[in-house]
Amino acid sequence: MPDGIGTDHQRIDGRAKVTGGARYASDVMLGNVAHAWLVTSAIARGHITGMDEAAARAVPGVLEVFSHRNMHGAVAETEFFAKGGYVGSTIRPLESDRIWHDGQIVAMVVADTLEAAREAAFRLQVEYREEQPAAGFDAAGVEVKAASEGGFEDPEVGDADRAYGNAEVKIEAEYSTPTQHHNPIELFTTTAHWVGGKLELHEGSQFVHGLKNGVAAQLGIDPADVHVVSPFVGGAFGSRGSLTQRTALVAEAARRLGRPVKLVPTRDQGFTIATYRAETRQKVKLAAGRDGKLQALVHEGWEVTSRPDPYKVGGTATTARIYACPNVRTKVNLVHADRNTPGFMRSPPELPYMFALESAMDELAVALNMDPVELRRVNDTQREPIKGLPYSSRNLVGCLDAGAKAFGWERRNPAPRSMRQGEWLVGWGMATSIYPTHIGAATARVTLLPSGHARVQTAAHDVGTGAYTAIGLAAAEGLGVSLDKVAVELGDSDLPPAPVAGGSNTTASVCNVVMKACDEIRARRAQGQQGAIEVYAENVPEGLPPEAIGKLYQGRNALGGGLEGGKQAMAAFGAIFVEVRVHERTREVRVPRAVGAFAAGRIVSPRQAHSQLTGGMIWGIGAALHETTEIDHRTARYMNDNLSEYLVPVNADIQQLDVIMLDERDSQANPLGIKGIGELGNVGTNAAVANAVFHATGTRPRHLPVRIEQLLG
Amino acid sequence: MLPLLTGTAAAQPAPATPPTESRTMDMTMEVNGQVHRLALDPRTTLLDALREHIGLTGSKKGCDQGQCGACTVLLDGRRVLGCLTLAASVGGRQVTTIEGLSRPEGALHPMQQAFLDHDAFQCGYCTPGQILSAVACVREGHAGSAEDIREYMSGNLCRCAAYPQIVAAVQQAAPQVERS
Ligand code: FES
Ligand code: FES
Repeated sequence: MPDGIGTDHQRIDGRAKVTGGARYASDVMLGNVAHAWLVTSAIARGHITGMDEAAARAVPGVLEVFSHRNMHGAVAETEFFAKGGYVGSTIRPLESDRIWHDGQIVAMVVADTLEAAREAAFRLQVEYREEQPAAGFDAAGVEVKAASEGGFEDPEVGDADRAYGNAEVKIEAEYSTPTQHHNPIELFTTTAHWVGGKLELHEGSQFVHGLKNGVAAQLGIDPADVHVVSPFVGGAFGSRGSLTQRTALVAEAARRLGRPVKLVPTRDQGFTIATYRAETRQKVKLAAGRDGKLQALVHEGWEVTSRPDPYKVGGTATTARIYACPNVRTKVNLVHADRNTPGFMRSPPELPYMFALESAMDELAVALNMDPVELRRVNDTQREPIKGLPYSSRNLVGCLDAGAKAFGWERRNPAPRSMRQGEWLVGWGMATSIYPTHIGAATARVTLLPSGHARVQTAAHDVGTGAYTAIGLAAAEGLGVSLDKVAVELGDSDLPPAPVAGGSNTTASVCNVVMKACDEIRARRAQGQQGAIEVYAENVPEGLPPEAIGKLYQGRNALGGGLEGGKQAMAAFGAIFVEVRVHERTREVRVPRAVGAFAAGRIVSPRQAHSQLTGGMIWGIGAALHETTEIDHRTARYMNDNLSEYLVPVNADIQQLDVIMLDERDSQANPLGIKGIGELGNVGTNAAVANAVFHATGTRPRHLPVRIEQLLG
Repeated sequence: MLPLLTGTAAAQPAPATPPTESRTMDMTMEVNGQVHRLALDPRTTLLDALREHIGLTGSKKGCDQGQCGACTVLLDGRRVLGCLTLAASVGGRQVTTIEGLSRPEGALHPMQQAFLDHDAFQCGYCTPGQILSAVACVREGHAGSAEDIREYMSGNLCRCAAYPQIVAAVQQAAPQVERS
């Protein structure tokens, strides 16, 4: 069988990755490179009152100390990404003496060697005048605003409060999810190099055209003079999608010093110079008839953000639309505090908000004395309830059936604390997963040589997702050649633009445009064209305006699809089943096995899709049991900003994981019927773990992560 | 108003020692069978020596403080963290990095092949460290069961969470690595 969509294949970039040959941003070797080291703020709010640079400058090899004293005015103000700009935070460090948050960049030392830069950074004396910061929800001085003030539409239908009042069975509960940091293993490095008035940037990126245009705007140069090189990215998870503040600073330093500058920030600096997942508090009310059919759903959320930027998680956009429910009321509130600006982190809206909804559904199932799988089945719908849009396809029921069967769910005794093995209490829990299907405008160039070799060029990004392989498989199918004849070039702003690697859109967006180019090549061949054939194609998915391509060239996002858009709702679905063991005395929680069944359109590269889904589920387990950034509420500073105290799952935390990918054809969503999967496995897994913990112990965990102390007593 | 804070961190007193003089130290290092003579700042770590001075960038920096395992290399066949090892301390011993496991165009080392077969990585950033750790894990006799592998591979974080695939890869390669 020829290679194509659905072929099981090793990663085509795999050999480079297992031999050390893959070049990540900080791996480029440049002559005469100078090394930068950041100095970050020790306070969360106030002003810099003094800076004694003498000791730092005295370190042999130091070239310059950059601070607000000599960088004021160097980086122009640009719009927040959500308002059509590029930056993930409008706070401009080194612009003035103002401190907006803990760990803000206050200086950057550049020296001949790494060791000298580091020493000088530690010798820089910074004095501050501190004001009392507001760290988060309960602090005096936070400013609470309805997200609707910034244009967010709170989904609503019917009269939820009346229906709730009249209903036979109801539950009401409050949940919370913590601050989390992406912590990709690759640090937030940037290397800048000016050649003949043009800037070359080596930085791991989820959006090279955004980075190119954004830095150009910040530095007041022509975007044509910026070249971003990012063929390999050492993990991203949302942290490398919009511009961070470091890039322009490194570029400006390199321009002034007339030599390449390389910055490798420390792990702890990564907690404050990039974004993070905002902590949330949520209230959910659910009401149903005795038959389990939902009659009312009320979901209200509060989310922390920075002082200046209205970053919104906004997961009610999904939770309001997943089940058949005639009466829905939702509201999102932003809580502005003295913190760095949060941002997208894998399954940004759904991870926290679906935790609350799917925990509440479990509570409702208990109140109804109904099986939680059955409760989801009863409330399944082929139309989202807010506007009544039909789902382009939706096979949640198939996921519930396949997952329950593989897991052995029918053997579950519904009573809490009813199952045990030796000293371990055993619990089985489940939850629904959903992720909206996005597709963006995209461009690509495909070349077919007479030898039968092909080349695909597009500025899409493989952040570990397997994009190289998926795109290669689409081209192999489109041209009728084997995958080993296809070369794929990604992650370079000199290539035709593709959308941000976010919202799980890359496979759908890029494979569709690549297929369009391949179709054109085949048509030309059929017409008798000889020799090498090169085709450049653009694709504007249904529902997006033709200007979407122009916006893409300007590095602005043009994503369509999802649940709220045009004529239909598009999403991938899943059902997650988890077994936990909770030790009777110590309350240690383990996850011996989990099953995820997913209906996510056509699976382009099954081996990598499987990895994405298991990886996502492990993220869900981490969200349930491990991850939280702890904040000192007196100082608004992060306390565990390192990889030994910020817990992420390690190998020993994970045992058996089974993934089932259901066959699903959806030609309504896009011509190739592709939905995204990078964020799907993550959603719902946290609730499935928490629901299993309830089943094991009889204690309902409503605050993540579930730690031993919540389960004692 | 709160008291004035001085320094880059409130609790950190200003260093009293004078700045380090500009000096380098001659050192010799055998990496992947090749001897390198270097004159480096004595504070240079093995990881920085490999990456910044020798040009072997396969070893990765993920934390620079011994917490992630991305910088794992073999020192006389045993796994060590390059970020916690001073370059000056490895003279007379053999360093093996990911680049030394197989020849550029040649057959892959069985562990590299197994990682490729099982898709035991996603972004690939932790992978060189995982592979070297896995080779040592087998040689230490800690690859006898999936449970052992999970335990003895837990010093290498994979944020992409390729853990089940890593365990499968180690199991596949273990018999060949044991024989080699
Ligand atoms: S870089 Fe050495 S352990 Fe993380
Ligand atoms: S493959 Fe990305 S960190 Fe392991």
